[in-house]
Amino acid sequence: MSVELDLTPLSPLGQEATPAGPALGGQIAALALRAGSLIAFAVIVAVFAITAPYFLSVGNIGNVVGQSAIPGVLAVGLTIVLIAGGSNVVTGGIDLSLAANMGLSAAVYATLAQAGYGDGTAVAAALLTGGIIGAVNAFAVVVAGIVPLLATLAVMNVVAGIELVLTQNTVIPATTPLLSALSSSGPLGIPVLGLVLVVFTLIVGAIVQFTPTGLRLYAVGEFPEAGRAAGLPVRRLTAGAFVASGLCGGFAGILSVSNLSGSTTGSGEMLLPVVVTALLGAVFSRRLVPTIGGTLLSTLFVGILVNGFQLLNISSTLVNGVQGILILLVVSATTLLRKKEA
Amino acid sequence: MAVPASGTARPSSTILQAAYGGILRYPLLVALAAVIVLFSLASPVFLTAANLQSILVNNVTLLVIVTIAMTFAVAVGGIDLSVGTAIDFASFAFVSLVLAGQPVGVAALAGLASGALVGAFNAVLISLIGISPFLATLGTLFIGRSLQQILTNGGNPVYLPPAGVPEAFRFLGRGTLAGIPVPLVIAGALILVATLVFARTRFGRVAIAIGIQPDVVRYSGVASRAHVAVTFILVGLIAAVAGLILTATVTVYIPSSGNAFLLNAIGATFIGTTLSPLGRPNIPGTVLGVLLLGIVANGLLLTGLNFYWQQVGTGTLIFAVLALSFARRRHAKA
Repeated sequence: MSVELDLTPLSPLGQEATPAGPALGGQIAALALRAGSLIAFAVIVAVFAITAPYFLSVGNIGNVVGQSAIPGVLAVGLTIVLIAGGSNVVTGGIDLSLAANMGLSAAVYATLAQAGYGDGTAVAAALLTGGIIGAVNAFAVVVAGIVPLLATLAVMNVVAGIELVLTQNTVIPATTPLLSALSSSGPLGIPVLGLVLVVFTLIVGAIVQFTPTGLRLYAVGEFPEAGRAAGLPVRRLTAGAFVASGLCGGFAGILSVSNLSGSTTGSGEMLLPVVVTALLGAVFSRRLVPTIGGTLLSTLFVGILVNGFQLLNISSTLVNGVQGILILLVVSATTLLRKKEA
Repeated sequence: MAVPASGTARPSSTILQAAYGGILRYPLLVALAAVIVLFSLASPVFLTAANLQSILVNNVTLLVIVTIAMTFAVAVGGIDLSVGTAIDFASFAFVSLVLAGQPVGVAALAGLASGALVGAFNAVLISLIGISPFLATLGTLFIGRSLQQILTNGGNPVYLPPAGVPEAFRFLGRGTLAGIPVPLVIAGALILVATLVFARTRFGRVAIAIGIQPDVVRYSGVASRAHVAVTFILVGLIAAVAGLILTATVTVYIPSSGNAFLLNAIGATFIGTTLSPLGRPNIPGTVLGVLLLGIVANGLLLTGLNFYWQQVGTGTLIFAVLALSFARRRHAKA
């Protein structure tokens, strides 16, 4: 019972049929594989730039980055879990509670802000909410031993329920100095939210990609047995990844309150798009593994698609479809090329 | 497994140990029994025939069909996030053709074919191109959502006017056979057939084998890609049955409404899988998983809990059942 998330085909043909192969062809295929997704990205940017002149303006690019902030932070959180959990969706890393987490953290923030508490208290409470949800996930996965898909599914239901209880399914408006600062525009008219996303990704990326802890996360995810044999604290690292992901949910909650001037219902709608974004992120990395940088690229990729469609006046009903087709195109191309490379 | 270790154990503790062993082997049955006892104590209405029938008709019938479809996908080591898409497409084709004056039989066949088409699309992605089932069906889900928006001019429901509902259509949704609601009969038949497929046919055994040891199956000369492809088409087809019944019951097609079943179907399938003695996808486990979800939903409703608290309650209960069972299993291994 395994749902392989890595892009290995179910039954790779020609695995034994290909000896060394034509070296040049293999190299070209490998290059195309690594560059393919980036080329696709570039082509789409070019098409939008030509057909919608406003697209490449600083203001518009800033908009795209700003609108990508919330899904981006969530996708980064999910990426950490994907890295530490390994490539198997069912037994490995997945956090389905992220979107609900964002909703509850936002509701907590908005409720406290409305009750007259200061930004400091509200921020702490929102992050604490996210952290607790992450800790519950960590407990369920590491201590109770429930597979992440099931554990986070159950937690998602509980969290979404608590949000409903807290908000009675209504919108809670909130305005505080911090929220106004977050939703304003910075230098060159770039939204502060966009800057937040960039700084956040840089920090998390630095930790995950360039520190021993990050390397251990990858080791634990890919080869838990080897990690255990090498003396890594496997359980603590896995638990830490879920708590980190929960904190990202809390942080995204704060951002969403600022973006919408309050907490709103229906945060669960974000779940599948965020999962798509985080999974697609692997395609933007050289070794086809989840990376923070790849996830940032994939977040911007999806953001650019939505934005470009709006500029071109393409009906928004098509966005989901093109998103789906692109995911399948990019993933199929990568998979087929990888088969050749093998 | 908990085997009495010492011969000096007193009879009462042997019984306790036997009970403990029973809980380890059949945690799902124990959880179900516990939940039933809990709710029958909490509400006098719970154990009445009328309420039990209401659980089956309202909470179980459709979900169990969708979950059987999901069980097939999980059995071959995959997952199908697009079961809702198959439900919607079947529903759309069914309603549209009935509305256009086609015979109900023809419309129903077209509905089933639409669901199978969604499955075939997944099959191409998974078996031919080699995309992992999770990603492939996620893509299908997104494309399906968009297609439905286009087909319905931005998401308008398709209603059947009350006067224009054919008799056969009404029968499928609200009729009875020997006093049993038709949807329930269909669900029961599907449970029976699916159980037999897994227990008695080569198709079912190979499917399970692919899920456990895909490489071994391939090396032993089974055309496993074709097998996976057929399985995913079957998943779409079974989900389409749920789509037909759903539409016949509410006489309306609402775009993307099938997704409501997705997370519960995944939950029930994996509850059945993880809590079964062998830890494999299996139809009895799936059915018990659906029953557990349905009973908890209904029971919480009866206790008169605030509607919003019910979701917290459902989630917490399922979480507790999972945590207990996993903890006990781990304890048993140690």
